[in-house]
Amino acid sequence: MLIENSQIPLQTTTLSSMEPKKTGKISHLETKDPGILQKLIAMGILPGMTVTLLRRSPSYLFEMDQTRYAVDREIANHIYVKY
Amino acid sequence: MKLPLSCPEGKCCRGKKGCTPGKGLPKVILIGSPNVGKSSLFNALSGSYTLVSNYPGTSVEISRGKGRIGEREYEIIDTPGMYSLLPVSEEERVSQLLLFNEKPLVYLHVVDARNLKRMLSFTLQLHEAGLPLILVLNMMDEAKERGIKIDIDELSRSLGIPVVGTISSEGKGIEELKVTISEFIPGDNTQRIDHGTEIEPYLTEIEILLESVEEAGISKRALSLLLLQGDTTALEYVLNADKASWNKNEGSKKNYEEIRKLTEAASKTTEVPFSYLLTLKRQERVNGIVERVMEMPDRRETNSEETGIIRAQENTGKKEDYTCVLQEKTKSEKQREKAGKREERKTQTRNIEFSDKIDSILVHPVLGIPVLFLVLYFGLYLFVGVFAAGTLVDFLENTIFGGYINPLVTAKFISLVPYPALQDLFVGEYGVFTQAVTYAIALILPIVGAFFLVFSIIEDTGYLPRLSLLLDGMFKKIGLSGRAVIPMVLGFGCSTMATMVTRTLETKRERLIASILLALAIPCSAQLGVILSILSGSPKGLLVWSCVVGLEFVLIGYLASKVLPGEAPTFILEMPPLRRPRLSNILAKTYSRMHWYFLEVLPLFVVASIIIWIGRLTGIFALALKIMEYPTVWIGLPPDAAEIFLFGFFRRDFGAAGLYGMNDSELLTGVQLVVAAVTLTLFMPCIAQFMMTIKERGLKTALLISGFVFPFAFLTGFVVNNLLKLLGVSL
Repeated sequence: MLIENSQIPLQTTTLSSMEPKKTGKISHLETKDPGILQKLIAMGILPGMTVTLLRRSPSYLFEMDQTRYAVDREIANHIYVKY
Repeated sequence: MKLPLSCPEGKCCRGKKGCTPGKGLPKVILIGSPNVGKSSLFNALSGSYTLVSNYPGTSVEISRGKGRIGEREYEIIDTPGMYSLLPVSEEERVSQLLLFNEKPLVYLHVVDARNLKRMLSFTLQLHEAGLPLILVLNMMDEAKERGIKIDIDELSRSLGIPVVGTISSEGKGIEELKVTISEFIPGDNTQRIDHGTEIEPYLTEIEILLESVEEAGISKRALSLLLLQGDTTALEYVLNADKASWNKNEGSKKNYEEIRKLTEAASKTTEVPFSYLLTLKRQERVNGIVERVMEMPDRRETNSEETGIIRAQENTGKKEDYTCVLQEKTKSEKQREKAGKREERKTQTRNIEFSDKIDSILVHPVLGIPVLFLVLYFGLYLFVGVFAAGTLVDFLENTIFGGYINPLVTAKFISLVPYPALQDLFVGEYGVFTQAVTYAIALILPIVGAFFLVFSIIEDTGYLPRLSLLLDGMFKKIGLSGRAVIPMVLGFGCSTMATMVTRTLETKRERLIASILLALAIPCSAQLGVILSILSGSPKGLLVWSCVVGLEFVLIGYLASKVLPGEAPTFILEMPPLRRPRLSNILAKTYSRMHWYFLEVLPLFVVASIIIWIGRLTGIFALALKIMEYPTVWIGLPPDAAEIFLFGFFRRDFGAAGLYGMNDSELLTGVQLVVAAVTLTLFMPCIAQFMMTIKERGLKTALLISGFVFPFAFLTGFVVNNLLKLLGVSL
């Protein structure tokens, strides 16, 4: 996906398939699993937030608004990031 | 977990259970997400001490204290962490129920100043629920360190509530907060927010249905909103409250049913859950406010525009970008004035970089493991096992108690009390003084103290959440998430305490597996210390013991995760920054944990001594020993060793102490020692842990766990003994 006036192509992937050290914006959350969705929104992991993926193993570690979160693959699959 | 609070001038309940200091006074309730400093604010306001940790979810219970602000006294209440009005975990429900039931003078919503954008949403929820509210921006120092500026006055105007900035760890801003509390005037400043055409009609309908329900702590509208989002606690609350006010089940049930139907119908109208819609809308408002009041050096977006750094360079690390922004800013501003500040910030940036480097080693999938082993080796083995359980215990037990105190007390007692039965009770072989008090002070105190000291240091640095991250993948194999690392590590100190902390785990299934493993395979520090010091003379024996116990842990966890129904756990954890541990914090924590432990342990030691004394007088003890001899002999131990297991019923570490005694008198061979150590480690939990398991998991589950653990421990002992014999191993 390309956006005009920008040399940088934007793509949307899940957090789990994002490249490490990249920064992007959360575009949306997967809403099929109410339990996980509830957890994410309670912790303030919401569309529009800027995230930086710090590491992918042993688990996913990302930074968002001055706080770091550790999540497993299952949760990372529920977060879609545009970058 | 909390320290018992000192009662005011002996007026209240003199240390009795359920003592609630400050009852009846105006209440100040602290509320907020985990790990934002509620507990340290509580300590600052109330002058009493709860555990302050650098990991989320330490306060699993509500703490109450009393504090003086100006001329008035207040009841200060600390609550377990909570992210939003809609709870996800059990600990959050505790806080949510408190909101329903309490009507305090004021709530202090404590937030991490750095994360205003994420935390203001809850402030808005609380405000909308009509609660009397003061917003406390804590950790202002850490925000400043990151170059964040917050316009507190503007924030206060935007929200329509008082806002105070604090640094609770240093006691800064506490006075201002106290003044704000004392000047607080509860007024009706509830903001009514329009939730849009999708939600409003349902909201109004539920509000009408709720009319008969007694006024709750939060507004009816907020309660309706929770019901609409399918919150079970709110539904239960309404059911109970309705029952109470009507005293007749029929009418209330009808209301309740109607609400249930309504929420169900409502949830079908939109594709995504209501909670998601509401949160997104709320976040929009938050973003608007944050934009006005908060200024932060945006490391990426502004960066690439202003300084022309292209995205590709971000790969070199974001911290460098950060420095660039700072330099860029200082150039454009008055150079001389800012030069000093720039230096300061540079140092701070360097500090952050340094801690980032350590951080990346701690959680590195390969490098992290040797670090963990180093921590275990130095902290657990050398300090707790060899130094505390070996050297220190030896000195205290044999030299101080064995050499001086016990002979003196025994002689004095015998000369004063000429009755043999009483002599036996107090200074006999299993006497209250010669055994219970001696073991408690000379054996348990140094070992448990050493463990809690190590644990407090580790905890204060923020290593535990890193360990959770590191081990999450492995823990998933035994049906637990990385979160369970915290209770498991704590279990090496006191399994009873750890069983209580399993409450922070998210699913029932995880809590059950954690409880089983704590009962079975995690030895507490008292046991561990004794076992390590006994087996330290035999490295092979130690290896066999740790392999067997480790294998049991993995095997039982794996089987439990296969057998028990329910979904696999998911892992999500906030990672607090690494912090340099503070000595005062460590000492206070160690002290407070030991205090808790001693209040619980010493009475049980005494009770156990008395029970054994009665048992010996009546002959029941001899009979029980005879019965215990069968499984003991069966696993290849001398019949005398039955005593160890009988003690084990009363307290795990008590049993360990018995083993210590037998080893001292060289009654056991190398193989027997290992078999005894294995069986004892896996053996029935101590009485205190059993009671805690009943409290947390229910009687049936606790009985089932014990019914499994008891025979299984002996079975393992049997297998290990025969295997070692078969292989001809001598240890």
